[in-house]
Amino acid sequence: MTSRRDFLAGLAAASLAPVPGWSSVGAPDFLAAALFPDGSYRLSGLDGKGAILFSIPLPARGHAAAAHPFKAQAVAFARRPGTFAIVFDCASGTVIKRLEAPKGRHFYGHGTFSANGDRFFTTENDYEAAEGVIGVWDAVNYIRLGEFPSGGVGPHDMRLMPDGETLVIANGGIETHPETGRTKLNLPTMQPNLTYVDLSGSVLAQVELTDALRKNSIRHLAVRGDGLVGFAMQWQGSLTKHPPLLGLHRLGEEPRLLSAPETDQSALQGYAGSIAFAADGNSIAITCPRGNALLRFDVESAAFTDAFALEDVCGLGAGSEGLVFTTGTGAFGALNATRAEISAQPDCQWDNHLIPIRTFG
Amino acid sequence: MRTFSIITALLLPLGAQAQDRAPILMDATETHILPRFAQLADATETLATTAQADCAPDSEDLRTAYRAAFDSWISASHLRFGPTETDDRAFAMAFWPDTKGFTPKTLSRHIATEDAAVGSPEAYAETSIAGRGFLALERMLYDPAMAEQGSAAYRCALIRAIATDIDRNAEAMNTDWQTYAPNLTQPGDDSLYRSGDEAMQELFRALTTGLEFTADTRLGRPLGTFERPRPNRAEARRSGRSLRHVELSLIALRDLAARLSFDHPQIAADLDVAFARAIDRAQALDDPAFAGVDTPQGHIRVEALQQSINDIREIASTELGPTLGISAGFNSLDGD
Repeated sequence: MTSRRDFLAGLAAASLAPVPGWSSVGAPDFLAAALFPDGSYRLSGLDGKGAILFSIPLPARGHAAAAHPFKAQAVAFARRPGTFAIVFDCASGTVIKRLEAPKGRHFYGHGTFSANGDRFFTTENDYEAAEGVIGVWDAVNYIRLGEFPSGGVGPHDMRLMPDGETLVIANGGIETHPETGRTKLNLPTMQPNLTYVDLSGSVLAQVELTDALRKNSIRHLAVRGDGLVGFAMQWQGSLTKHPPLLGLHRLGEEPRLLSAPETDQSALQGYAGSIAFAADGNSIAITCPRGNALLRFDVESAAFTDAFALEDVCGLGAGSEGLVFTTGTGAFGALNATRAEISAQPDCQWDNHLIPIRTFG
Repeated sequence: MRTFSIITALLLPLGAQAQDRAPILMDATETHILPRFAQLADATETLATTAQADCAPDSEDLRTAYRAAFDSWISASHLRFGPTETDDRAFAMAFWPDTKGFTPKTLSRHIATEDAAVGSPEAYAETSIAGRGFLALERMLYDPAMAEQGSAAYRCALIRAIATDIDRNAEAMNTDWQTYAPNLTQPGDDSLYRSGDEAMQELFRALTTGLEFTADTRLGRPLGTFERPRPNRAEARRSGRSLRHVELSLIALRDLAARLSFDHPQIAADLDVAFARAIDRAQALDDPAFAGVDTPQGHIRVEALQQSINDIREIASTELGPTLGISAGFNSLDGD
């Protein structure tokens, strides 16, 4: 006969741990997608040294993924202009749900959960209207609830702000249509922006760069615990110009743009792939796979600190100390005060992004 | 002889090969780039003077001059860097695709308000980019909806203003290309290109983006999907030039590819065969404005043309690119 006490204990256990948490899969620090030598694309969980803790096959090349704040669940996006995203149970590797973009929409490859894990937001293209959209999903049953405008064209990365009530969206400004692949349809009129919205989609603030930087597509984001936003850009203008590819913005202030000295800046081919603050928040970095370089800056002074030559470097995140990065040649490494050290070199090609599992840990 | 040259190549330090871009850079600049902009400036001058003499939209002289000048632009428009890119000149020559219909809106607004900017070339160059260039002029010459708006006198002034603006733009490009050319032919510390490799990469990018634009946009837009073809999205369909642009761009890109692959005869041969196949397909199509994509058979034929251009792209990126030191990294190629 079950005592009342046993019954209550059982109830508590059932409600507290209905699904496995991240500790059940080895407490990974990051998610990353990669191409493996057998031709398979897989989503992997990595520890802080780059060891692969689990690895789940993907149906096609991935772009970014999103990690549930506490359940061992990840959403992997297909490469732009994909129309599906897959929710995985990382403990079993099984598919929980396949998210289909609604008719007339495709995903851009980035998404983020709400702080309590009950909502999931996706950047999407309403391609007939050429307007950016944020899809809103129930993250318990993964059902689409609705959508709201992203505040611009071509939203790419999106992050939840530390207040848990605000989303910051990188509206890259570039119009594309799935029928013309990745062809950029509006370069002469493009106007990227950074848009802040509340979770119901009301626009709180929008930031645009000066007209001379109108062709600098704001693509990827990093957010510091105090709400400082870092944004990485991809230049669509003449390659003989070498504009800044990194900016910092705090709500209510003007953006600050950070640039390396001309010799370093001119080698980047106008292209930054990922951005992250270091663990202590005092420095910020961008990866530049076309220039085979990782550039680090001091946040306070906005001054360039150092550049590291790393072939096809792209994934970037905060490590236990400093920053960690991945490359298209399979390297996983850490950047300490002075140098880059490779700690793992599995036989795979890491894709664009390294997704932190604990966002503000 | 062949064995000897291979051994010589192996003995040379790596850097020696990397330096030897000069003959190709000189050839591409002097015989591919500069003559195209000179030709363009000539043709647009004829267009501007013809419009001054006769601005009737159905004037055969004007339409002939228009076609010749637009041909010259399409044959140069893949060279979309340096002076071509400055101040959005390329878009001011051809604002396409125009996904939001800015061109007819801009022209209608000029006509409705009798915008005085048509009276001054400097002022017209400052108006919306969507109302400038060959696609705006096409609307004025070939779109019956435009011929019904406003007064004949204003429409005439507008046609002349667009033609003059095209010519000024082409003249500016031609002039600036003369001074820009040494950047390509003499890379180094005094050039915008720090090495011959960088200058070659710029030209290679012109080739690959030119192929991409023709396959994905010139053909991709009218193709739409099999279920929903979009013939009304074809480039310059009102003047029946859509297929001609594909053919002209392929002819121009074939010339550039041949020059860039000159040191690699096998790659040059592969590219030439692939270009010949694509150009043959274009010439056999007999569907000038891609209206046929509406039918299953017509759609398949245009898709086949698109595939033949994608075959050229494949050779360019997997064979020619690596010989020019183009980074083929997993992430650097992704572009996202």
